[in-house]
Amino acid sequence: VAESTDHDRAHRRRVKLRLRLISAVTLIVLGGAVVASSLVVRNIIRDQERVLLQERAGEAASVLGGAFAGVQDSLELLGTLAATDQGRASTFAGAARSVITTSSEGVLVTAQHGSSMVVTAAAGNAPPAGQAIPADQELLARRALSTTGMVSGVLPDGSRRWLAFAVGNAAGPGTVVWERAAFSAAASAELPTGPWGDLNLALYLSSRPEPAALLAATTSKLPLAGGVSYPFTVGAETWLLVASSPTPLVGTLAGDTPWLVLGIGAVLAVLVTMVVEIQGRRRDYAAALVEVRTASLRRAVTDLEQAQAQLVRQEKMAAMGQLASTVGHELRNPLAVIMNVLYLLETMAGAEASETMRRHLATARRETSAATLIVSDLLDYAAGRAPMSGPVHLADLVTEALSVVPPPAGVEVATHLEPDMEINADRDQIRQVLLNLITNGYDSMPDGGVLDVSVRSAGDSAQITVTDTGLGMDEETRSHIFTPFYTTKSRGIGLGLAVTKRVVEAHAGTIAVRSTPSVGTSFTVTVPAARTVSVPQ
Amino acid sequence: MTGFAVLVVDDEPGMRDTLMAILELNGYGVSSARDGETAVAAVREGAFDVVVMDVRMPGRDGVSVLEEMGDPPPQVILMTAYAQEERLRAAVKANAFAIVHKPFDTRRMLSLIADASRAVQNLPQVTT
Repeated sequence: VAESTDHDRAHRRRVKLRLRLISAVTLIVLGGAVVASSLVVRNIIRDQERVLLQERAGEAASVLGGAFAGVQDSLELLGTLAATDQGRASTFAGAARSVITTSSEGVLVTAQHGSSMVVTAAAGNAPPAGQAIPADQELLARRALSTTGMVSGVLPDGSRRWLAFAVGNAAGPGTVVWERAAFSAAASAELPTGPWGDLNLALYLSSRPEPAALLAATTSKLPLAGGVSYPFTVGAETWLLVASSPTPLVGTLAGDTPWLVLGIGAVLAVLVTMVVEIQGRRRDYAAALVEVRTASLRRAVTDLEQAQAQLVRQEKMAAMGQLASTVGHELRNPLAVIMNVLYLLETMAGAEASETMRRHLATARRETSAATLIVSDLLDYAAGRAPMSGPVHLADLVTEALSVVPPPAGVEVATHLEPDMEINADRDQIRQVLLNLITNGYDSMPDGGVLDVSVRSAGDSAQITVTDTGLGMDEETRSHIFTPFYTTKSRGIGLGLAVTKRVVEAHAGTIAVRSTPSVGTSFTVTVPAARTVSVPQ
Repeated sequence: MTGFAVLVVDDEPGMRDTLMAILELNGYGVSSARDGETAVAAVREGAFDVVVMDVRMPGRDGVSVLEEMGDPPPQVILMTAYAQEERLRAAVKANAFAIVHKPFDTRRMLSLIADASRAVQNLPQVTT
């Protein structure tokens, strides 16, 4: 449980850190597509807008062109009338008045007289015949004379301005037939509105939008930004209509469409990214969970295998213990009988026994004792009872054990016993451990040596160390000494240390061994201390 | 002669024979029984001061025989080769004089029997 909680925490931490790669890529790709779509839509709409504006401007231009298309014919006709109607100005005037539609308009014919241009015929708002025209208007006349077809221009005249059309040589060589209309400023009235009222228009009497050539405009904000230019022909010259639209011709919604595409697309991109991210995280979480579960399953299997191995081992040990128990017990009766017989033989022979007989009897008794010890070992091993704990004073117990098995000749015993060390233990079992370690130490010193027994505290534990200066062991031997029935001795069946280890472990303790061949061996038993009566330092 | 009568009860002939020989050698009057039933009968018939008896025998075991001893009961020393803690506790409860684990030191057994004999001697005697 603790592990999965750790895992969840780790998972959450990772989640907070950043988007997963696939989600980031998804977001970038979708975002790019949305922006691209938006731009494409915007361009399409702009094109559409431009096409519409072009069409509308074209229509307006063609209407304008159409409006002035008849002027050249009229002026040529009036010229012809003026030329053929010498002296009868009334015919010309009559025809001219039919052309004139407003009071601001006038028609006149001029001819070169000397250095100046003189009016020869006039009708409507025009200077009377015989009057010379101003020098600045002669420029238009000269242009008309040098051009085939009608020319046009804006003529300044005081506060007023004239829109003037002129056809050269229409009433005979050197003559110019004019039609002019006065207007006060760049009046919008001159421009077709109505169907084109939604457009900003500017009309130039030139092929280029030069301010000087501006005839009229529907707005003072010139030049028109983002407008389309539509040139068209009036007489011999090209006029230019520039049009722009203050409001989108394709409609307000169309103008907003790119933003709508961008907005909706962005929202969708974020949603898709979230879905991808959530799915990814779910998958990651599931995978992590599977990993954890698999690990715990693997652990469980390992535990099970270990438990099984332990069980098999225990069963084996139990069978071995059963065998040891049976053999041990069954040998006790015959051993008891043999000891009785030895007693009888010794007693009956008494003082009369020969030296040889006594020696043989002693051998028999010694061997019987050895057999008895083996049986004891077997039964100790087989018993394996749980410790019956009580306070055990270690220094006392070591002293007692050493008195039970006094050292053989040539072996010295040294003790380093910390006083007042107590453990909670089965006294008989720990005594057996001490006896085993001490007799092992003796046995490993056939040529004499020193056996050191120490008791000291080590943290919350008590340590009993039995060190000999005997033969020592090689690594191979050392690794087997706790295995039941393993022995290097000529006597004994190799149960002493197996029993010792089992007893120590039953006391929640450990036993460690260090050994160097030809130097000696040291066994250290560590068991939890019941309490240490420590001297204040 | 010590004058004390000892009954040796064991299903093992080796133990029975050697113990009898040892006790005779040490001046005891000795009888033997090969099983619990015979032992109970023997104790009822004859007056024994001490009974040295194996715990585990075919049929009745030593402890149940101990529990059925006559009045006054002889002192009983039980011998055992087996770990039968429950039976041994029962034996202690039934006032066994001693419980000796096989194999035992013969001299120690003799001193125990001597102690048991003296204990019998010190009991208030009911003479008829």
